[in-house]
Amino acid sequence: MIEITITEEQRDCLQELINVAMGRASDKLARYLQTFVHLQVPHIELVSSAELPQTFAETYGDDNVTLLSQGFYGQDGISGETLLIYRADHTKNIAKILGYAPDEVSEMEQLTDISSILTTTFLNGLAEQIENQIAYSAPRVISSRETSIERHLQDLSFNWELALKVAISYQVTDYEFNCDMLLLIPGVAIENIQQVLNQILEEY
Amino acid sequence: MHSLVVESLNTGVLLIDSDYNLVYFNHFMRSHPALKRPDVLGKNIFEVFPELPKSWMTRKLQGVFMLDSPAFSSWEQRQFLFKMQHTRPITTNSEFMAQNISMLPIKSETGNSEVDHVCITVEDATDVYFYQEKLKLTLAELERSNRTDGLTQIANRRYWEERFNTAFLSAVRYQEELSLILFDLDKFKQINDTYGHQAGDKVLIESAALIQSMLRQHDVFGRYGGEEFAILLPNTQLQGAYELAERIRIAFANQVVNYKTDSIQATLSIGVVSYHSGIRNYDDMLTRADMALYQSKRCGRNKTTIYQAG
Repeated sequence: MIEITITEEQRDCLQELINVAMGRASDKLARYLQTFVHLQVPHIELVSSAELPQTFAETYGDDNVTLLSQGFYGQDGISGETLLIYRADHTKNIAKILGYAPDEVSEMEQLTDISSILTTTFLNGLAEQIENQIAYSAPRVISSRETSIERHLQDLSFNWELALKVAISYQVTDYEFNCDMLLLIPGVAIENIQQVLNQILEEY
Repeated sequence: MHSLVVESLNTGVLLIDSDYNLVYFNHFMRSHPALKRPDVLGKNIFEVFPELPKSWMTRKLQGVFMLDSPAFSSWEQRQFLFKMQHTRPITTNSEFMAQNISMLPIKSETGNSEVDHVCITVEDATDVYFYQEKLKLTLAELERSNRTDGLTQIANRRYWEERFNTAFLSAVRYQEELSLILFDLDKFKQINDTYGHQAGDKVLIESAALIQSMLRQHDVFGRYGGEEFAILLPNTQLQGAYELAERIRIAFANQVVNYKTDSIQATLSIGVVSYHSGIRNYDDMLTRADMALYQSKRCGRNKTTIYQAG
């Protein structure tokens, strides 16, 4: 078992970086989507791989949800996955938000497209502040109404024990849209991000 | 050196400027028929490649320029953007290359904060596409064979019971009509003993086909045991079920199964029951159909009996 803890200072520092990244993302999204995207205050914590499926079951167990994942990797060993979680009744207007013609794009493609936009704008905002550059893999649909997230996660055996989890909720009130984003930075990458945070803390 | 690498990549690479004009494409892309023309550089990509979904892709490219972030297209959602041949025409049956596409923001000058080009990469995903499609077909076939009786090709007992259970619950919940016909081939052991097991099998196969042809699409016909069969009739009242059972009984009695030089005839004993509030569960309903069926046997066979309470 790797012993990883996050200090109060590190958490505050990360919180601050994330707040700024969210502000930048919101600003960019407003210009591109021409509607206001509201990002709720993030929740930061360490989660263990063993409790992850259970956490999902508790939060999303009864809902009609679709889960998408997009991997990312930057310099200095900073990498992870963002998971985007959509409830069926909050996704009807994605095509309108994205400015697509009706019936031009399938439901799954609307979800992959908006996931990619939300993930990359937010992470780019974070990367700019820590002078990093992030590359992304293509977003993929992991589970939909037919296969539950919990079941999907239980089938996996993780090669990490702990992950840094940042949970952010997105809301577009004009279009009755909302979704949750989980940024998960697993294993060694946590230590790498801690180093970055320590450097920033030293400079102040 | 770098440009040599890009040129020889096993991935398509195109570069476009902010007016969506084609600035560069690598060797991989040359297999696209549109790029055989000499004057394509500098032209708008939607003119060069008329197959591109223009309004959707324009919106995506706008995002890449405005947000300074990549956009993607996966073969799972769109088989391809660029209509191209792939390299396995012999061993796959896909007509066009399945593609994973990335659209990456490029800032041509260092220190420039504006994205001024987009690099589009085209990965051949035909292999994955092909095997994924095969997997889907295999799974569908597996599911089919998992619920089919090997000899008669109608539903097997497990699948039939599953359907019966669902139909029963739905009948209870929504107060729908539901009837059940259970029947047994009379003296089937004698047929096997007289004409042989292969003849017996042929009787089962032809009988199943005859009865199946008399059913509606939503009726579920299953082989319940050796020579015992069951038909589930959703939205059917007792009278309708009885009439169908009688039609089946008469058609069956008139059927002649030819096996080698033998002409085999057989009869059915049938039990019919309909759902009503006195029936607690689907086992209960089956038991009642079974009781009616044995009443038919006791009365000399080749007969249809409706279950009567008490």
